[in-house]
Amino acid sequence: MTAHARRRTQAAATLAAAALLVALPTSGQVDLGTEEQRAGGKIVYDKYCGQCHGDTGDGNGYATPRVQPKPRDFTTGTYKFRTTPNGTLPTDDDLRRIIEIGAPYTSMPGWPNLTSAEVQNVIYYIKSFSSAFENPDRYAEPIDIPRPLESTEESIARGRVVYEEQGCAACHGEVGRGDGPSAPTLVNDKGDPIKVADLTQRWTYRGGPTKEDIYRTFSTGLNGTPMPSYADSLEVEDRQHLVNYVHSLGDADDPNYGTLITAVYSEEPIDLQDGETLDALFESAPMTRFPLVGQITEPGRNFFPSVTSIEAQAIYNRDEIAFRVRWHDLRADTSGRNNPSLEVPMWDEDNGIGGDAADDSGDSDDFFGDFGGEEAPPEDDFFGDSGDDFFGDGGDDFFGTADAGAGGAEFSDAVALQFPASLAPEETPELKPYFLYGDAQNPVDLWFVNLTYGVADTFRSRGSDSIEATEADIVEAVTSYDQGAWTVTYKRRRSSRAGVSFAEEQYTPVAFSVWDGFNRERGNKRALSSWFYVYTEPSVEQAVAGPVLRAALIVLVVELLVVFLVRRRARQQAADEETAAASLTATEAPAV
Amino acid sequence: MWGLNLPVVLVLAAIGGLLVWRRAHTLAWLLYSLVGLWAFFKFGFVVPIPQSVATIYLAITVLALVAYASSGRERLAETVQPIKRLILEPRHRLALAGLLVALPGLAAYNAYADLTMPLEAPGFGREIHPPPPNELTVHDETIDMATAENPYLHYKHDDPELYGKHVENGRRVYYENCFWCHGDGMGGDGMFAHGLNPVPSNFNDVGTLPALQSSFVHWRIAKGGPGMPAGGTPWDSAMPAWEKFLTTEEMWDVNLFIYDFNGYEPRALGQH
Ligand code: HEC
Ligand code: HEC
Ligand code: HEC
Repeated sequence: MTAHARRRTQAAATLAAAALLVALPTSGQVDLGTEEQRAGGKIVYDKYCGQCHGDTGDGNGYATPRVQPKPRDFTTGTYKFRTTPNGTLPTDDDLRRIIEIGAPYTSMPGWPNLTSAEVQNVIYYIKSFSSAFENPDRYAEPIDIPRPLESTEESIARGRVVYEEQGCAACHGEVGRGDGPSAPTLVNDKGDPIKVADLTQRWTYRGGPTKEDIYRTFSTGLNGTPMPSYADSLEVEDRQHLVNYVHSLGDADDPNYGTLITAVYSEEPIDLQDGETLDALFESAPMTRFPLVGQITEPGRNFFPSVTSIEAQAIYNRDEIAFRVRWHDLRADTSGRNNPSLEVPMWDEDNGIGGDAADDSGDSDDFFGDFGGEEAPPEDDFFGDSGDDFFGDGGDDFFGTADAGAGGAEFSDAVALQFPASLAPEETPELKPYFLYGDAQNPVDLWFVNLTYGVADTFRSRGSDSIEATEADIVEAVTSYDQGAWTVTYKRRRSSRAGVSFAEEQYTPVAFSVWDGFNRERGNKRALSSWFYVYTEPSVEQAVAGPVLRAALIVLVVELLVVFLVRRRARQQAADEETAAASLTATEAPAV
Repeated sequence: MWGLNLPVVLVLAAIGGLLVWRRAHTLAWLLYSLVGLWAFFKFGFVVPIPQSVATIYLAITVLALVAYASSGRERLAETVQPIKRLILEPRHRLALAGLLVALPGLAAYNAYADLTMPLEAPGFGREIHPPPPNELTVHDETIDMATAENPYLHYKHDDPELYGKHVENGRRVYYENCFWCHGDGMGGDGMFAHGLNPVPSNFNDVGTLPALQSSFVHWRIAKGGPGMPAGGTPWDSAMPAWEKFLTTEEMWDVNLFIYDFNGYEPRALGQH
């Protein structure tokens, strides 16, 4: 290579390096994009983002009153999911990550269909909403995220110690179910209530479920929320053990939602009062997790339900069937009232914490006027004694709607199983009652438990406005609340004269509802599921050996038959040829 | 590419190439076609195609192969020749014994897998676009479904500014009411969609909005899931009857907005 050529390559290399630098601005460097890029970003933003984040970036879009957590206010320059230290600005890559994959179980969706350039442009545009991005002092280098340690028993045990020492349990709870003593009191920078992460359900982590994500979350903190940064109080190694402990609290990255409960047969009697035997019985039954979403189809809508899934299992014996459901709730609300048909006034659809848009449905005069009428205790007040409760604190709650939940006394936690009142006729097996409390032609039965009382009440429902208590079948229930988890076990006779009977090998539709009193859920304001099924597994275990042997034998017999026939045919042919040859010789013989 | 699982397709193609190169016997080709097709259906696609569809294709292939193999005496003789040799010639005795054991083993495994397959909830088909009624009454106003159109659609050409106002109002209605199910970008993938069955409609899909008249969409918005005939399994649909929440104008506005957002036009009147 001549000196001249060498110089040329060097120059090219320098140029390339310079180009790289321009293309990939490192963090800590103010990069606000070009006018053109921001203009391109505005087009994307106005179409896809403004309806939540507000057309002016203030977090006040059309959807804002009805979502929780609220869309980010871009004018503050405060961001949750960052690789950069507490209090500093995120890198473009941090913003890109959240825009591309979103924050699960919030209204912030991922936008995988935007091109890389569109995402970059919209990042420049978002940054233009806050002057913080013009200030070089607000930037910092991303933290180092070390490779995760292996989850050995020692590492997890050490992590548990750190978890206790650092006081994570105060918010996240002893075993991480989001039920710490402070959980009900937490609000974010803007004064909106904020839900503590349930560390046992990794798929709901808004910043991602991997060990690296967890390390990042508590090392940098979620700015704008009570979730602090532990960068100063924890050595890197302890943080790695803590990651392993947090990771060990859940058993999967995915919820693995199912569609079927398999009810398992047992010879044993089912005694709800004998907890230990009952637990042992349920041990043998598979557990299925079902997704729950807010009821937003009929009035009394629940746009941000607290509970996002429920686990269920079932066992049965000769006469009885028992269901067990379990879900996580940050606090046991067991002093208020609740029933499936409690009225929910329009203003309470968004917990009264909405902005202007909430008033669209009626101006504020209506709002005050309606209250007295709509919130009057129902005539057929089911439990008789809730009237006191109502008059006791109803008025206060109303005026202090923003933190009405914090008192917790007004509405209680509750759960219901829903079954069709009768199975579909054979000609139309797909026919079911309307999944929202049934319909006039096809009613449903609700096995409702108000956790204030812990007993099951049965309702026959023909739609949201036609729900009546029945006593046709006796359903028993026991309930317990342990470290953030409600468990409710139901029992009923398998056969019923008025409702559905659970025959062996039958698929019976089932749906679930959960009410979190803390979130002011009652009546139709609930978390609910679509129809799923219970399958009552045959009591006699199906033999596998028989059918398997039969299949093998049939094939074997066919094979042997083919071999036999082919061989016989070949032998015959050979014999024929011989006789032919013989007869040939025979016929020829005399001629000779 | 085309949803194909490239490695599998390449391996199958390579085996085919090998057969050409070695001038394989007809029987080998027949086996290759059958097993290859089965493997292609089972493993060749990123999102597996439904078992029932694959079974139909396989059945047709088997028929075609049998027809081909038996299309002439000579061809038939040639095809079964190797099988005959396997059964008759003493030097293949070991291979024959192996086959006699292996095939029943395979059948037994298949039966076992069938019996121990995890249970699934029963599923039923539904009509996605069930036939609408002839007339529709919303908030005491009756329209003829065959001739009604979105009353604000014509502003698109006549008065773009007014059109923009209706679209913007539709945008408000959509993000106050619909996106939880139909999604922020209208892909049918809102934050509640995973808990619903049937899943919310995808309005990005070219086969949905452009194929529907605006009156049909109005019917679906006003009457929701419960307004459908039985073919649409109304009892399962979470689609609200929006007449309970919205004014007639709001419903036409959101109707306008979902078309506008996706750059689609409703199917014109009388067009089939
Ligand atoms: C349906 C409402 C909605 C839409 C549409 C939406 N967002 Fe969001 N966005 C949210 C919510 C809610 C949050 C807050 C999530 C949280 O706090 O966990 C958020 C948070 C964010 C954040 C902040 C993440 C952080 O680290 O704090 C960014 C950046 C963002 N969104 C960008 C966008 C962009 C860009 C678009 C358009 C392409 C968009 N969003 C569209 C609701 C929305
Ligand atoms: C003062 C209360 C508080 C304390 C103490 C606290 N957290 Fe949190 N944490 C929260 C809140 C609130 C959230 C939810 C923030 C959100 O979703 O915006 C959260 C979220 C999280 C998340 C999930 C983030 C995500 O991606 O959704 C993890 C992991 C976590 N915390 C770990 C910890 C660990 C480990 C500790 C102790 C070292 C701890 N937290 C201490 C309040 C707290
Ligand atoms: C609770 C969830 C939910 C909400 C909220 C919701 N939808 Fe739906 N929507 C569905 C589901 C599920 C379907 C598909 C089943 C069906 O056709 O009924 C559907 C179907 C539709 C259809 C029929 C499309 C077709 O292909 O025939 C239209 C139109 C529609 N929705 C518009 C809207 C509009 C406009 C809003 C808001 C005003 C809205 N939806 C809100 C769940 C919802």
